[in-house]
Amino acid sequence: MCRRAGAVAVASGVLLLGGCGIQETDVIEAGGPASVQAFVDRDYDMLLFFHSRDGGISPVVRSTGSTFEYGPEGGPVDGQDPTGADAVPVPTEKVVLALLSGPDEQDRAAGLSTSLPPAPRAATLRVEVPPGGEEVMADLPIALDGLGRTALRQLICTIAYSHGADGRATVRLTGRDGVSASGTCGLDPASGQRS
Amino acid sequence: MTSGPGPARRLLRGLSGAGGRRRGTDDGTPDDGGAPGDAPAGRARARAFGLRTRLVFAFLLVAAVSAGTTSALTYREARNALLKTAQDTAVSSFRDQVQQTGWTLPVRGEGLEEVLRDIARKGKPRPWVVFAEYGSVRASSGENPVSTVITPELRRAARAHPSGSFERVVKDGVPYLTIAMPTVLRTGPEGVLPSGLVLYAVMRMTDEQVNVDALLVAARDGALPGLVIALIPGLIAARSVLRPVRELRQAAQSMGSGRLDTRITVRGSDELADLARTFNDSAGKLERSVRELREAEARARRFASDVSHELRTPLTGMLAVTEVLDEDAGRLDPDTARAVRLVSTETGKLAVLVEDLMEISRFDARAAELNTDEVDVAETIRKTLQNRHWTDGRVRTELPSGIRARLDPRRFDIVIANLVGNALRHGGAPVTVSLRGEARSSGPPVLIAQVTDSGPGIRPDVLPHIFDRFYKADAARTRSAGSGLGLAITQENVRLHGGTVRAGNLPGGGAVFTVEIPLRPEEAGG
Repeated sequence: MCRRAGAVAVASGVLLLGGCGIQETDVIEAGGPASVQAFVDRDYDMLLFFHSRDGGISPVVRSTGSTFEYGPEGGPVDGQDPTGADAVPVPTEKVVLALLSGPDEQDRAAGLSTSLPPAPRAATLRVEVPPGGEEVMADLPIALDGLGRTALRQLICTIAYSHGADGRATVRLTGRDGVSASGTCGLDPASGQRS
Repeated sequence: MTSGPGPARRLLRGLSGAGGRRRGTDDGTPDDGGAPGDAPAGRARARAFGLRTRLVFAFLLVAAVSAGTTSALTYREARNALLKTAQDTAVSSFRDQVQQTGWTLPVRGEGLEEVLRDIARKGKPRPWVVFAEYGSVRASSGENPVSTVITPELRRAARAHPSGSFERVVKDGVPYLTIAMPTVLRTGPEGVLPSGLVLYAVMRMTDEQVNVDALLVAARDGALPGLVIALIPGLIAARSVLRPVRELRQAAQSMGSGRLDTRITVRGSDELADLARTFNDSAGKLERSVRELREAEARARRFASDVSHELRTPLTGMLAVTEVLDEDAGRLDPDTARAVRLVSTETGKLAVLVEDLMEISRFDARAAELNTDEVDVAETIRKTLQNRHWTDGRVRTELPSGIRARLDPRRFDIVIANLVGNALRHGGAPVTVSLRGEARSSGPPVLIAQVTDSGPGIRPDVLPHIFDRFYKADAARTRSAGSGLGLAITQENVRLHGGTVRAGNLPGGGAVFTVEIPLRPEEAGG
């Protein structure tokens, strides 16, 4: 009887102590992310989306001034003028052309790159917003056929965030080759939960 | 005359029975005296798992379980609270620090380390090492840009869900708290956008470890005195049970050694008190019945003694008369002469019986005395045989001279005479009386006297009773020359000398009686 009771005592002691000291844990969620201020002025700054080496899409902030400074292959891009350099907020067409011109030195230094082909010279594009404001339609100067998922997301996210601050609009793309694609950006965790 | 011996025999049978019973108690007493000799060994063996040990162990066990459980639970809760506080403080302050820092997108590698060091310095509860990962940019406030402590799981979790998370990691025995803090851009009133920048903080939990270890020590140090304190009630409880038990055992022992007036003090009203009360009641009853028994025995003994004394006086007169009658018997007519001789013979036997009864009464009353004298044993035996006129070849002797012993010559004479007379009467001639001294491995040397007859021997069913009083080997032969007390008197006499007498049979037939008396001149007198 004594022996059994002793064994029970020892077993419960071991269970209760559950290992002394500080134990390892799994990954435990603790609150939300840190929301940082990135000083994005929608009147003068553009949000462009490039992807990092692991395939994730990251936004970069570029002021309108820098677009002229750092065009594709160093030169200014045609087709910027019709929209007007001083238009506020920055027109979506200008933002798309900036995206197509690819990452600048700083972006590349941070390991960001683009999956989009460069825009041909004298490229034109049209962005229309049908009534309702929930959709954005864009005719692009590049062929959509053969573009990867990352490339399409770059386009969609850039256009969506240029159109609205929350980037929730549905974007319909039509390529020069007539191929069309559509989608939402979906980077916002809150919007992902809502839909 | 014919009805006389009947009641007297019944009476004496009863007396011998009482004597036998008394002898039983006498024999029992040394056994009881011997029993405590074995007891210490048994007691020592019993002590290992005795009541005290078991009670103390039970108390210790209960105390250990309760103290252990309490300490363990307290320890666990305190440890968890301590760790939770440290972790929550670290996570929330890290988030605050990251939020208060201005970031440019894309994140520039240059100057990033300075920013990280700034964050690390403000680390709570202790400075962290901060790591930043953005695209291919890797920077830290420490020496290595990439941490070796942060696990892939944490990285994956930070990349998959934009929410803060932490993980405790033990690396090389050092616990670390690793926090992952993905950053988001606030793009609108509600909209947030993962920026791709993930910050990690790594904090050594050495202080927490010290605190947790201190908790453990405190828990242990709190539990151990509890155990020690639990010993005290354990011992007290054991004592409260053991003391009555010990008293009971001593009382039982004391009763066993003959002190029947032993009683236990009854304390309290628990089961042990009941036991003590029962013991006292039983002891009282036992004492009463033993006293009654002793009184009855004493009465019977006194009666037998009185009867024989009362008988002796008229018998003396009768003996004198019968002697005269015997002398004159020749002048009477034959029938009357036969009757007169019969009366004379029976009166003589009655006188012998009364003498023997008186002798036995003296033994029973412990009034028999040993008047020792240093004698030549062979000479004494020879004298005995001569006095009884047993020198006519029916009795052979093997008596080596030179064996001297301290004996009561009168009693030794009775012993030899009774044995030889018994052998001649019930066995067959020739009877051999032999004498020798023998050394014993333990104890003093003994004097051995043997009386052997040439008769058919003693029946085995008779052997155990041969020394009983009035025991007749042949039930049909109720009347014999002896009083029926001869061998009993012999045995009492040998015992008085500190010796033993045994009856047995020779392999070839014939009974043999062996008397062994220790040759202890100085002690034989006692």
